[in-house]
Amino acid sequence: MLAIKGSGINSSVAPREHVLVCLSSSPSNEKIIRNAARMAKAFGCKLTALYVQTPDSEQMDPADKERLKRNIRLAEQSGAEIVTTHGDDIALQIAEYARLSGVTKLVVGRSSSRRPHFWSGPTLTERLIDAAVNLDIYIIPDAAASEHYRQKRSPFSRSSRLSLRDLLVMAGILAACTLIGWLFLMLGFADANIITVYILGVLLTSILTKGYICSVIGSVLSVLLFGFFLIEPRLSFRAYAVGYPVTFVIMLAASILTGTLASKLKAHAKLSAQAAFRTQILFDTNRLLQKDQSGADILRTTGSQLSKLLNRTIVAYAVENDSLSKGFLFSQQADTAAGRLLCERERLVAKWVAENKRRAGATTDQFAAAECLYLAIRIGGKVYGVVGIPIEEEPLDPFAYSILLSILGEGALAMENKRNAQEKEEAAVLAKNEQLRANLLRAISHDLRTPLTSISGNADTLLNSFDMLDDATKRQMLTDIYNDGEWLTDLVENLLSITRLGDGTIKPSFSAQLPEDVIAEALKHIDRGGKEHVIRVDCGDELYLVQIDAKLIVQVIVNLVNNAIKYTPPGSEIWITVQKQEETAIVRVTDNGPGIPDPVKPRVFEMFFTGENKVSDSRRSLGLGLTLCRSIISLHGGELTLTDNQPHGCVFSFTLPRSKVDLNE
Amino acid sequence: MNKPLILTVEDDVPVRNLITTTLKTHGYRILLAANGEAAILEASSHNPDIILLDLGLPDMDGVEVIKKIRTWSNVPIIVISARSEDADKIEALDSGADDYLTKPFSVEELLARLRVTQRRLALMGTEAGQQTSVFTNGALKIDYAAGCVYLGGEELHLTPIEYKLLCLLSQNVGKVLTHTFITRNIWGSSWDNDIASLRVFMASLRKKLEKGPGKYQYIQTHIGIGYRMLRVGNDD
Repeated sequence: MLAIKGSGINSSVAPREHVLVCLSSSPSNEKIIRNAARMAKAFGCKLTALYVQTPDSEQMDPADKERLKRNIRLAEQSGAEIVTTHGDDIALQIAEYARLSGVTKLVVGRSSSRRPHFWSGPTLTERLIDAAVNLDIYIIPDAAASEHYRQKRSPFSRSSRLSLRDLLVMAGILAACTLIGWLFLMLGFADANIITVYILGVLLTSILTKGYICSVIGSVLSVLLFGFFLIEPRLSFRAYAVGYPVTFVIMLAASILTGTLASKLKAHAKLSAQAAFRTQILFDTNRLLQKDQSGADILRTTGSQLSKLLNRTIVAYAVENDSLSKGFLFSQQADTAAGRLLCERERLVAKWVAENKRRAGATTDQFAAAECLYLAIRIGGKVYGVVGIPIEEEPLDPFAYSILLSILGEGALAMENKRNAQEKEEAAVLAKNEQLRANLLRAISHDLRTPLTSISGNADTLLNSFDMLDDATKRQMLTDIYNDGEWLTDLVENLLSITRLGDGTIKPSFSAQLPEDVIAEALKHIDRGGKEHVIRVDCGDELYLVQIDAKLIVQVIVNLVNNAIKYTPPGSEIWITVQKQEETAIVRVTDNGPGIPDPVKPRVFEMFFTGENKVSDSRRSLGLGLTLCRSIISLHGGELTLTDNQPHGCVFSFTLPRSKVDLNE
Repeated sequence: MNKPLILTVEDDVPVRNLITTTLKTHGYRILLAANGEAAILEASSHNPDIILLDLGLPDMDGVEVIKKIRTWSNVPIIVISARSEDADKIEALDSGADDYLTKPFSVEELLARLRVTQRRLALMGTEAGQQTSVFTNGALKIDYAAGCVYLGGEELHLTPIEYKLLCLLSQNVGKVLTHTFITRNIWGSSWDNDIASLRVFMASLRKKLEKGPGKYQYIQTHIGIGYRMLRVGNDD
């Protein structure tokens, strides 16, 4: 019963509301969308706007298309998620979607709840009530305007699509059928065969022509032709046999059914293909977006997927720090429109979109003269980019438009995720730096006290009891003061380097340097104890430059050499060698001291780690040197590594990037 | 009474005491100034041989002091500054300072710098007036008139740029020349690439010089600042 804490249990206790509103091209739809949006707001829940694409949607007139697009846009502005499904039976589609997505409330208009004619089937609302038992259905009263609107959608509006080609195809097929029928008659076949040929003809007509108006006309005509040419008496509509009127009616019904079924099937196939294409594009987009690393990648993916979807050239701008980047073009074929689409005038429109978070450009009220329609890639109030779609002759159809919005939404989501991840990472780095700094301060304030106590104590004793001390003691005390002073100097140098590195305000200044100059400089700064050691330098004979921050690298070498001095007995040899490589120079600081035991090796780079085997003179160390060295080297794109020297001792090596220089002779 | 007179301009009392004690024990005569105003006054009234100038003064910028003094005097000026302030050092050198010391400095370092400057002064004293066309420094001999360089009696083959560099350094022997100063003199410009080129030419020039007898270090590199030709062969 531990799972009680889980959100899944909670949600079943108080089910989250989910409002669904259906989109249509009806003018009253706007009111319904607004109501649904208000409801979603009141419940503080998710709003989904569903558009069911039917085979009829293809034949919508341009005004309807425009209205539908406006409604989709309104829904989107109201914070709805736009979903498109397709199918013949709107009620079934809505009910299915509602069931699968956990919709609790459905908002519909009243027009769909009244039967237009007494002979019509059950209305959408009635069917919905039957299909979705668990759904709250809200019926919004709408204005009388919708009645008037309904008139326009009479079946005859489709006949405007009846083309001459379709009519010719139909005439040809029917003529052929009649010919075959006559042949059958001559051969003495039964009438049933001839009727079958006509039904086949109607089937062919519906497959080869657009819409089902042709198949309906074909059905009627085939009955007439059959009656006129092939039934005794020929060339008249009269029939001698008693059963023929019944035959005609059955034939008409059969052929009309066959024809409409076939054309519906065709429409469905087309819709499925479109849906598959849409799913594929969305799926691809999703997959590609997940792979993308940077905002630029995401923009590229979004742009190229849109270009693939719409088969047009797409213009995209990234928005960073409230300013518009330069435009990118994504196109399926080599396009020469670049100059036209990226010109300053177009850019201004895109800028307006980024600033106002509203679409603009062609087919909208703002900047209607622009070449492209500009849409913002945004989530909430944050705009991540602007996408421009050239509107040449044909405006976008609602289907493409809804996918377009989905892709833009996906892109915006991906960009937001990326940004959130980045912010989180930055915060983590910041926190880590804070932690480091705090550790550092703690260590420093602790470790500073020791040498300072020694310095002031020794000096105090010298001042107060100078005459009572013998020369050897005085000398020892002075040596201590000097050593502690030197130690403090080293510490300050390292701290200075850390501030150069960690602050972020002071950028390392890279310049081309000769390795031998850098090493010579470093040798000036090593501890005085170094006089007891033998230090050799070998830089090779060749002249080449490395691209480094000289001060920081000097500090690295000083630290490495000082370390070698500190942890090896007097008289040990220390080698500093530089070896030229293809793209880098490898620097090694080698000693022949006792070496570092394997278990300790990984720890030497840790901050505040000091060797356990303190060398006899117990010179203190803050354990900061190697950590700092490692950071400096990684800043130069290399890595500081520790290996064993043969037969004993250790080798610290790192690489520095070489710099190319054109000699000005 | 031939001890050099050194004007020490430093506002920090312990450091001033350190310098004073060190110089006194090594036989220098001393003038003290705690700020820029006093420094300019002392410099104009006592005509010191060398000035040690701290760049961080309470009343005015050390660079301003250099510029003022340079209006009437060529007295060698050694600038003292903290290590993190390369830009200040370069500015000071370009304004006419001769050398610089970085805090924290050791007493030996301070004395060495003073010796270098003194040698330069001595040389200027002997060569003043006589327009010499031949420069000698240890085993190095430059015949400006003939455009030839000899190292230990043998002619040294230098590229035109190397020769130009060598002449520039030798004419300012003992003085630290900044990268900007050198590149402006050689190439007339001071781009990053010029400075990178300069490093390569300087290294090859130095290699050629250091192969000679005695293996003297003639050219000293000051990372991030510039180069200097040293007087060699006498005491250290």
